[in-house]
Amino acid sequence: MKVKPINLFGHIILLVGGLVMIYPLIFMVLASTFTKQEYAATVLGPFPIAIKPTFANFRIIVGAAKDHLVQIYFFNSLFRTLYSVVFASLTAFLGGFVFARLRFRGKDGLFLFMLATAMIPGVVALIPTYIEYARWPYAGGNNIFMGGKGILDSWWVYMIGGPALNIMGAFLVKQSMEKVPIELDEAAKIDGASTFRLIFQILLPLQLPILAFIAITTAQATWNDWGTPFFFTSSDKLQTLPAAITRISSIATSAGVPDYPLMITLGLGITFPMLLIFFFFQRFFVQGLANAGLKG
Amino acid sequence: MANEWDVSGNAAASRTFDGPTGWRKFYNNHRDVIIAAIILGPMLFWWMVVSGFPTAFGFLLGFFKWGEITASPKFVWFDNYIHFFRDPQYYMALWRSIWIGLLVTGLNMLIGFLIALLMNLSLFGKAIYRTMWYVPVVTSVVATTQIFNIFLDINNGVIDNLIKRLGYEPILWQYSVGWGVFWIVVYSLWKGVGGMALLWLAGLQAVDPILYEAAEIDGANRLQKFWNVTLPGIKPIATYAIITGLIGAVQIYEQVMFITLGGPYGQTEVLVFRILRDGFFDFNMGMAGASSVVLFAVVFIFTVFYFRMFASDNEKSDPRRGRRKRQ
Repeated sequence: MKVKPINLFGHIILLVGGLVMIYPLIFMVLASTFTKQEYAATVLGPFPIAIKPTFANFRIIVGAAKDHLVQIYFFNSLFRTLYSVVFASLTAFLGGFVFARLRFRGKDGLFLFMLATAMIPGVVALIPTYIEYARWPYAGGNNIFMGGKGILDSWWVYMIGGPALNIMGAFLVKQSMEKVPIELDEAAKIDGASTFRLIFQILLPLQLPILAFIAITTAQATWNDWGTPFFFTSSDKLQTLPAAITRISSIATSAGVPDYPLMITLGLGITFPMLLIFFFFQRFFVQGLANAGLKG
Repeated sequence: MANEWDVSGNAAASRTFDGPTGWRKFYNNHRDVIIAAIILGPMLFWWMVVSGFPTAFGFLLGFFKWGEITASPKFVWFDNYIHFFRDPQYYMALWRSIWIGLLVTGLNMLIGFLIALLMNLSLFGKAIYRTMWYVPVVTSVVATTQIFNIFLDINNGVIDNLIKRLGYEPILWQYSVGWGVFWIVVYSLWKGVGGMALLWLAGLQAVDPILYEAAEIDGANRLQKFWNVTLPGIKPIATYAIITGLIGAVQIYEQVMFITLGGPYGQTEVLVFRILRDGFFDFNMGMAGASSVVLFAVVFIFTVFYFRMFASDNEKSDPRRGRRKRQ
């Protein structure tokens, strides 16, 4: 079998570069088998091998810890992610439907406005959002605007904020839905389908690839989002996995030597589910990107 | 809620000779607006709460001096903005955001494009390569910056240990501005290049194969095909990638926050990190607001530039584009 030189070159670059890309993960897997004492005593090389490998760190994450906080973090992350995925897909799909299929005055203006505001840096709204949450009317001990902590440090922070509302997703769905011929709607109309049925039984199945793309990217964004818990919550019961890493590191440091292997294992625990999701749904990524109306 | 079409069985049977009346007539005449209002109403309200109102608030904040969250804000006109452009801490942070952003975007696009070209070859096992390169994108920032910190640690850092083993002096990464920026850029590239490559790949695969065949019939060689077919074909995605990349890159702060913490002496501080510090740790709400408006102005310039390029490009290259007509 003869290999073309350009293909050989491609194999070498992609393999070597790809190994560099996943190297930090390899390091994480290796380091997670250390105990705290052995880790502190080892002069770390690029590929640290534990003399006495242990799965104690994994066991702590899966449920051996006394306070079960990691389980709480995990379920917070999971529920939050599910919630965001459901609502982001729903808002993206319905918004996309409105802007692709309905006609009303001011539609284009409204759409451009919403899209333009999606370009505003998130940090502009971050501090005002904090104040808004703290002054939320009649919540968390507020008499109208003042007095308590508002909805800060409560589940409402995750319900309202974060990636649960997806304007960019509406844009993607709009682009994708405009490729579906309008005659399909009319045929359904003539066959007696209600609007509800048209939206959910006829248009929805055709948008599943782009919705899968939106769902996966939202799942990633929410799962990895450390900002919302970091800025808007403080109690232990509300933390998610990424926010917990920063916490564990500060708690561990105050007790002396930081428990790096445990932190690394937790990091692996965060990364692994997203890797699996990407691995199984990667065709939607390329499809989604190609569908996003960016074709030449 | 009545949301049947006027031709559905029920409505047709009950319809009088003059057509539907009352609510049904109103509904039929304004169907689109009503459905749009039902769907968009709650969405717009939600959007106002999480985005519209805080953003407007943020813009106003720049005109106030607000030291403590309990004290009442004082209107100071443009004092915060004047302070922004007088204090090197601020304008240097803005400048750093821009040049680090340009550097990251440029390298990211270049490397991503070369990788996408290689991924576009029909190689054996390319799905595995694609996954490998995309892995950093799906990882969590807090988890992977921790690993970078372990690599750069002063006492037992992996890279310093390696340097020592090779017989050189270890480098104190945390005490050097140049190395701080270097590792911020390296981390950003590691995290971003896979996504960029996949974006380019989608663009490359969207180029119509017929164009390549036509070029081949005309006797074009590999380089000519690349220059005359591939490059024009991926221009829309290139514009998209450049501008969204720039907009994203001037806003990087997680790298700075978790790797260098702005140090040494605030010399690697970027503007977004400065805004966070002002807002959440120093309670200097006015300056945080003013700085974020300045950042928005920079992003806005990029965005206008993007819409100019992207819109004019679409008109030229795609004659089918235009307002879609019903019926």
